[in-house]
Amino acid sequence: MAAFDYAPAIAVLPLASFVIALVAGRYMPKGGAFAGILATGGSLVLSAWMAFAVAGGDTYNESLYTFVDAGEELSLHLGVLIDPLSAMMLVIVSLVAFLVHVFSLGYMNDEGETGLPRYYAGLGLFSASMLGFVLADNLFMAFMFFEMVGLCSWLLIGFWFRDAAPPSAAKKAFLVTRFGDYFFLVGVVAVFATFGTAAFAGAESFPTIAEEALAGGSEGAGGAAVTTFFGLDPGAWFAVIALLILGGVIGKSAQFPLHTWLPDAMEGPTPVSALIHAATMVAAGVYLVARIYGFYALLPTVLAVVAFVGGFTALFAATMALVKNEIKQVLAYSTISQYGYMMLALGAGGYVAATFHLMTHAFFKALLFLGAGAVIIAMHHGEDMWEMGGLRKKMPVTYWTFLAGSLALAGIFPFAGFWSKDEVLYEALVHGLNDPLLLGAYAMGLAAVFVTGFYTFRMVVLTFHGKPRSDVARDPHGVGWNVKFPLVVLGALAVVAGFLNMAPVAELTGLHVDYLHQWFVGPLEATSLETYEGLIEERAGYEAAELSPLLPAAVSLALALAGAGLAVVLYRGAEPTEHTDRLGSAKRVLASNYYQDEYQVWLAEGLTARVARAADTFDQGIIDGVVNGTGSVSLLSGSRVRRIQTGVVSNYAALLTLGLVALLVVLGVTGGWF
Amino acid sequence: MVPIQYYLLLSASVFCIGLFGVLTRNNALLFLMSVELMLTGANINLVAFSAQTGTLTGQVFSLFVIALAAAEVAIGVGIVLALVRNFEGVDVTRATTMRW
Repeated sequence: MAAFDYAPAIAVLPLASFVIALVAGRYMPKGGAFAGILATGGSLVLSAWMAFAVAGGDTYNESLYTFVDAGEELSLHLGVLIDPLSAMMLVIVSLVAFLVHVFSLGYMNDEGETGLPRYYAGLGLFSASMLGFVLADNLFMAFMFFEMVGLCSWLLIGFWFRDAAPPSAAKKAFLVTRFGDYFFLVGVVAVFATFGTAAFAGAESFPTIAEEALAGGSEGAGGAAVTTFFGLDPGAWFAVIALLILGGVIGKSAQFPLHTWLPDAMEGPTPVSALIHAATMVAAGVYLVARIYGFYALLPTVLAVVAFVGGFTALFAATMALVKNEIKQVLAYSTISQYGYMMLALGAGGYVAATFHLMTHAFFKALLFLGAGAVIIAMHHGEDMWEMGGLRKKMPVTYWTFLAGSLALAGIFPFAGFWSKDEVLYEALVHGLNDPLLLGAYAMGLAAVFVTGFYTFRMVVLTFHGKPRSDVARDPHGVGWNVKFPLVVLGALAVVAGFLNMAPVAELTGLHVDYLHQWFVGPLEATSLETYEGLIEERAGYEAAELSPLLPAAVSLALALAGAGLAVVLYRGAEPTEHTDRLGSAKRVLASNYYQDEYQVWLAEGLTARVARAADTFDQGIIDGVVNGTGSVSLLSGSRVRRIQTGVVSNYAALLTLGLVALLVVLGVTGGWF
Repeated sequence: MVPIQYYLLLSASVFCIGLFGVLTRNNALLFLMSVELMLTGANINLVAFSAQTGTLTGQVFSLFVIALAAAEVAIGVGIVLALVRNFEGVDVTRATTMRW
């Protein structure tokens, strides 16, 4: 198939724009922005082509370049896997990257920022890393690009490196995600050691081998050859591997407890935030779980962990968003919360629900961030929502698109977020009715719907409604076409993307409008939806309860509307007051983010640093002491003993003679001469 | 026939006289002479046992030792000459530059 021959170009084009912007950006108009726009636009076209090819029933799974080949034992290679999941993700990533590039013209160039070549080089590399990650056909390549994504986030979050906060936030993002990636790395090695391959799909892929090994029952009973460690049986050992990989996912997708880097990452330029949150970095974690879902679906314990972490994070992050005053902070916590939903769906066996939410969230969260960027331009780089108000009249395009994104985020019918979030919750509920742990995760997800509606509309009302509360808000800065165009495109998507997969409608009316379900009923058997659903039922033992989708949807919609309505009632009016004070001490806890940063700093400084210092003392004092002591004893004794080397021949002769005499005496005594 | 003990005593005495010379003298030439005495002591021993056992091995061996002693003197005198050139004399206690 000719289309797939161009697949690597999807990632190579942004990489080329990175090189161009870095080398020649300063000589080009707009600091190299057009190279990036062309490259990501090209990627978008190619991705769409791939998607059409996949829709036509083709898939692609080829290894392109082998850089370590150790025969049967091990081979590390770069390859391309294009199936429905990666084709969908390619379109999302390249679309958002393209729009972010365009938006950057308005946000960075028109605002007279310096260092633009560096900025566009970073964006290009970021897009290239993420697209490479999506294309990856094996876990090792995925890990490499996973790390590159982390590196690019560091570069871009710390873009304004002359201020104090951005470099610190960049470091934090890098270190916290790196903490998770450490587990991922161990997981990758474990996968190689266990299965001898890290391929995602095909007969020789590790999910397939794992499935065969588990199907074989006890060891040696027809199961495929896997090596387990620590005396664990395959099931338990696979769960350990899956949890290790999950460490990387939790770090990148900002799940509890490694979510703390994400709100700080707001220090980066707003288009970067949009890219990080909607399409690239944070999405990478969830995408990874979806990518190797054939492995996770084998392990009910791990799925339960995933679901519970997701549900908890959804609620936990949403509550923190309630009391934030900066518009980007609210969006940051909403991102954490929404990725919690995706994890919940994955853990609950809702593969389509998770990928669907991943897609709609990419659109509406990119929209919200770019909308927030437009507001920030208008406010002369002020982010405090209490300084805004009344922007609705001044910037109608931004307002209406932002409203569409907010309705989608809150999950209001019929916007994109409603369909996807509803499906997530439905999947969690039907599987949760037979599993109390999942039901708990579902309950947290459901509670988060109300909170989401509330903070979303608190943000909208404070920003756009009422009367302007500052001089800047009375006379906002205008925004150009390059800001409005991405907003309009994403606004339209935030409205209509949900219609791609109207599962409840399909269920009720029998119409085949659940297109995404059909999309994933894939041509590639190993990663198709039927395979996953079969695994979820057989291996994980999930049973779906018979339940009409109408009632859960009505409940979550009612909760979302209630939350949104409450926010509108509380904060509308010309001069809204800060009702959060009524929360009392709870507000302090929420505003301090549940003291997560404090306890993590304590973990680092109070515990880890102390242990490290003690270990250092032990190493320097005792280990090195022994080594140095041996050395000084030798030196000292050597300097004493060498004095017998007088250089006088007679002394040597005397010593020889004495030795001889001593020898004779010893021989005499032992030989019994005397 | 003289009992072998006397030969052995003689041999030990000559050897010890040589050893005494080596240990107490500083003169390199006297060193050489003392070493000759020690070798001679060993030779007496060899010859005495040869006569005792009635085989020729010891005597042949002593001939070798004599030849060796001659060669040794040739090298020894060379060393003494080098000593004289470098340390202005035959005093062995002066040549201590090879120590630590």
